[in-house]
Amino acid sequence: MATPRTEDGATAAAAAPTARVAARARNRALFASFYRRELVTRYLGSVTGLAWALLNPIVLLGVYAFVFTEVFPQRGVDAFLPFLAVGLWPWQASQEALQRATTTLGSYSALIRKVAFPHELTVYASTLATFTLHFAGYVAVLCILAAIGQPLHLSGLLLAVPLWCLLALAVTGLALITASLQVFIRDIEHVLPPLLMIAFYLTPILYPPSAVPAVVQPWLAANPFAWVVGRLRDALLHGNLALHAGDAVAVAIAVLLFVAGRWVFRRLSPRFEDYL
Amino acid sequence: MNDAAVLLELDDVGKSYPKTTRGHHAVRAVWDALRARPAAQHFDALSGVSLRLARGASLGVIGENGAGKSTLLKIIAGVIQPTTGRVAVHGRIGALLELGSGFHPDYSGLANIDLSAALLGLSAREIRAKRDAIVEFADIGERIHEPIKHYSSGMVVRLGFAIVTAVRPDLLITDEVLAVGDESFQKKCVAWMEGYLADGGTLLLCSHSMYHVQKLCRYALWLKDGAVMRQGDAASVTQAYLAWHEEKAASTRAPIAASVASAAGVYAIQSLTLEPGDTLAQGARFCVRGDVFSPDGRAPTVLVGLVRADDTPVYGVSTEIDGVALRASSPGHYGFALEFPALGLLPGRYRVRAHALDPEGVRLFDNVELPFTVTGDSREFGLVRLPHRWV
Repeated sequence: MATPRTEDGATAAAAAPTARVAARARNRALFASFYRRELVTRYLGSVTGLAWALLNPIVLLGVYAFVFTEVFPQRGVDAFLPFLAVGLWPWQASQEALQRATTTLGSYSALIRKVAFPHELTVYASTLATFTLHFAGYVAVLCILAAIGQPLHLSGLLLAVPLWCLLALAVTGLALITASLQVFIRDIEHVLPPLLMIAFYLTPILYPPSAVPAVVQPWLAANPFAWVVGRLRDALLHGNLALHAGDAVAVAIAVLLFVAGRWVFRRLSPRFEDYL
Repeated sequence: MNDAAVLLELDDVGKSYPKTTRGHHAVRAVWDALRARPAAQHFDALSGVSLRLARGASLGVIGENGAGKSTLLKIIAGVIQPTTGRVAVHGRIGALLELGSGFHPDYSGLANIDLSAALLGLSAREIRAKRDAIVEFADIGERIHEPIKHYSSGMVVRLGFAIVTAVRPDLLITDEVLAVGDESFQKKCVAWMEGYLADGGTLLLCSHSMYHVQKLCRYALWLKDGAVMRQGDAASVTQAYLAWHEEKAASTRAPIAASVASAAGVYAIQSLTLEPGDTLAQGARFCVRGDVFSPDGRAPTVLVGLVRADDTPVYGVSTEIDGVALRASSPGHYGFALEFPALGLLPGRYRVRAHALDPEGVRLFDNVELPFTVTGDSREFGLVRLPHRWV
């Protein structure tokens, strides 16, 4: 007599309201523990630590700035340094968050194989820690650029905060999918870097959208990341804080990505133990 | 048993694993999981386990390696989902599954206390309040600040157990972890467990130590090949398990390979079969057939004996006694067959013992055993029916 598997096994048994409240408190404490550890061991714990988390994008910014102002000057961009910084940081954050989260279940395999807890907490902690650190770097670099007289509207940060949150939500959704697939198919982590590289050059981060031939423009508009970069530039370079109808679509897409990611993850997570 | 007293219920629980975990099978597995279908190719690690456990009624899970004990405990702990059946736990579980469960190898001992206690369901405040007590129970000194991966296995167990003592779960699951600690720590753990049990705690213990099972558990469950072989009161189940082991140790020694026997210059039984099989009716024809290896091309002597399950000899005879010369079926290999036209043994369990001796029938080189059962409903006494009549 084979009864269907229960949705969350042993924990479902304790379905009384008090038990659910206790489980939620426990998950919050667990998430806090994972999140703190992600920050501490990944960045602050190592020798180069926090410095590297900030230095890496700064060095990249310097190199790109040199190449695209001195070697291949860009048409249609007045102040290239702030133009690049505004778009480069969110990209770096997204890319790193996605790549790190993809392998995060493997690094927690010792726990996953021996203790019962919602596995998605590790992915949340991983992406959120990456975004936290990069956002701190973002604010720091923008302040420095503004201080040395680069044309920037720091009031634009008011819009940058929700935009980063939206980005983090969408990337977490994607990461839930790649992380859970990675458990079964180990190629995912090797396929991601080249794909991200291609996506980086197809997104107007190093160049303005206007530099792209007119035929390709509609395709560019369909790239959600291009939209994020565009909105960030509007806010931080031009001080334009007005909301558009398109923003609602972006929120819908981010929420949809997250919900879809969570659905995939929850379908796959009961079988992680067989494959980790 | 009223419902409030039930701590753990398992209903026809089974778990199967995929046979292969790589290549296109993995892609297939993802597709199946997304559609919430059962995994395609699998082998059953556990099937049809049902049990109910009341508060305070501790259970020992015993069985050979690979019998499904760890799988069962992991399912109860909620670490893995059963493929079939239902699990219900009415209380807080603390599980010490294998070494270092609930620990992250890169974290320090202290950080792992926080993590592990959070996994066991303690709030941040409770964790802080209990941290000192945990460190004291673990008693591993300054190493508490080092990453767990630098710990010895004994230290990991000490820390794990110390955390569990602080949490005091309703159901404590331990999987053979006690065996790793040193003598004094084992005593400390057993003392703590006895206190825990006396206070109404419930223990689910998986162990190869029948001593621990009998000492700490009221009930025992014997798993064999993923299914329940026997369950009930701890003393009777552990005794049955030990008896089965002794029988198995006597009967399943693998035959000596011909190459080994040849190199060692010994006469060795290569195979042994029973006809009609390992069960026959009283008075039926019985034949012991086999193959014996000779390292020097001379026909060996074969001695076949019948003994009762408790080792009481019943009858034995050899080719040398009967003056039979074995013929080689192929170089070095000699077949033999001993037939009892109507076996007079009374119903019961017996063993056939076949020995290989040198051609002179003096030196004994090898012995192989096979169990068999004689069935029937005779009410006679003793071992064997002797030809008789009432006059």
